Amino acid sequence: MDRSKQNQLKQNEKQAASAGDSSVNGHFDGMAKITNRTGLPLAGSGETSGQSSSAIENWREERTRSVEDNEMSLPSIAAAYTTILRGLGEDPQRQGLLKTPWRAATAMQFFTKGYQEKIIDVLNDAIFDEDHDEMVIVKDIDMFSMCEHHLVPIFGRVHIGYLPNKRVLGLSKLARIVEIYSRRLQVQERLTKQIAVAITEALQPAGVGVVIEATHMCMVMRGVQKMNSKTVTSTMLGVFREDPKTRDEFLTLIRS
Amino acid sequence: MDYQKVKEMNSLCNDEIVSEFKCRNGFAELSIETKKAVVQRVNETSRKEAEDESRLPLLEAAYTTILQGLGENTDRQGLLRTPLRAAKAMQFLTKGYHETVYDILNDAIFDEDHEELVIVKDIDVFSLCEHHLVPFFGKVHIGYLPNKKVVGLSKLARIVEIYSRRLQVQERLTKQIAMAISEALQPAGVAVVIEATHMCMVMRGVQKMNSRTVTSAMLGSFREDPKTREEFLALTKNA
Repeated sequence: MDRSKQNQLKQNEKQAASAGDSSVNGHFDGMAKITNRTGLPLAGSGETSGQSSSAIENWREERTRSVEDNEMSLPSIAAAYTTILRGLGEDPQRQGLLKTPWRAATAMQFFTKGYQEKIIDVLNDAIFDEDHDEMVIVKDIDMFSMCEHHLVPIFGRVHIGYLPNKRVLGLSKLARIVEIYSRRLQVQERLTKQIAVAITEALQPAGVGVVIEATHMCMVMRGVQKMNSKTVTSTMLGVFREDPKTRDEFLTLIRS
Repeated sequence: MDYQKVKEMNSLCNDEIVSEFKCRNGFAELSIETKKAVVQRVNETSRKEAEDESRLPLLEAAYTTILQGLGENTDRQGLLRTPLRAAKAMQFLTKGYHETVYDILNDAIFDEDHEELVIVKDIDVFSLCEHHLVPFFGKVHIGYLPNKKVVGLSKLARIVEIYSRRLQVQERLTKQIAMAISEALQPAGVAVVIEATHMCMVMRGVQKMNSRTVTSAMLGSFREDPKTREEFLALTKNA
């Protein structure tokens, strides 16, 4: 049953992809998928509330991988790693490499475990009604992701701030949202946006700001090999986008 | 046939030379092994440049299988050429297999009447954990006491590159660097310290963000004379 669901989801992805390159990560990309689904044109930032209903439907379909899928695909991934070891000229039979294909396959499945989790499972019970409308910031959340272009790690820090609108979120849930979206094959820009959109759709706050500062091993270990380079991306939604003072306050507070 | 050579290469630095070194404490006896080591070093190449191109399709297919096994959609725009990029990246990260110390060092050894400590520190090192195929990176500090022969300074960094761009274990990496320098120069002593962060511990498993692993290899007078070792460690300590 899980198998057929996965196949169907893959078909959905393929359809969506052919329909116009919208299934990013194959799964939940709030903006683009909604456009294809409902046919509504993408406007500015004011349509967040209109999207939320269909976006929540997305959440329910979001999972594409299960623990059983992991177990079933482990042998083929391990075999692929054995091929890679041979292709690099190493001897997969030497002591240090004997179980490496299985370890590497399990490690890679761990690094992409974001595909197994759904936002709605994580958040569903930690939204509280609180009469608070000042900025809430959780900063210096360590983030580890995989570059989807080179399959090499990205790591850095995420700073999240939001202005609640009578509803606040359990603080660790912000970190869990980061975990779900970062443990995937990612592009830093998309990751930032996905986190911001997820919080917006869960809480309908007055505004959300997400800043990610990360080091890309694909730039440090290979290619241009710039050791100290960092990439900073940010997404500002709602009041953070419209009001420069709010944005300033957020950026100052995460810097200190 | 390739695999046999590779086994020899890895066993060069794992089983044969190292185990003999363990049995005998003195540095002087190491020179007996150097002849064998030089002979084996010439055969160290296990992959020629030409083979790299021909192996790419195989690696690409393997990476496509991995992506599909992880549940990703390999037809989406961001992943279309990822198997090729990942295969090339992996080849780059393991390019140390087809470089030899012999080629790099052969012309940069100079006769210099210098017997004081020479240290090159804070050499950035990037390697791949051979157990999980996940990077580990850090800094290497190398010191040696020349015995009438000094080596070009960048050659020390190049030796680090050769041995680090492989599937490695940090302990073995440290020892290989130390052994390569001692075989090439026959100095009075060699010291290598590596301090690295292992992504396999940080990104997965125990997930300890700030942990670092320090390994060292002390040969010759660094092993025998505590004062020499102290001087090296004091000079490489970062304030």
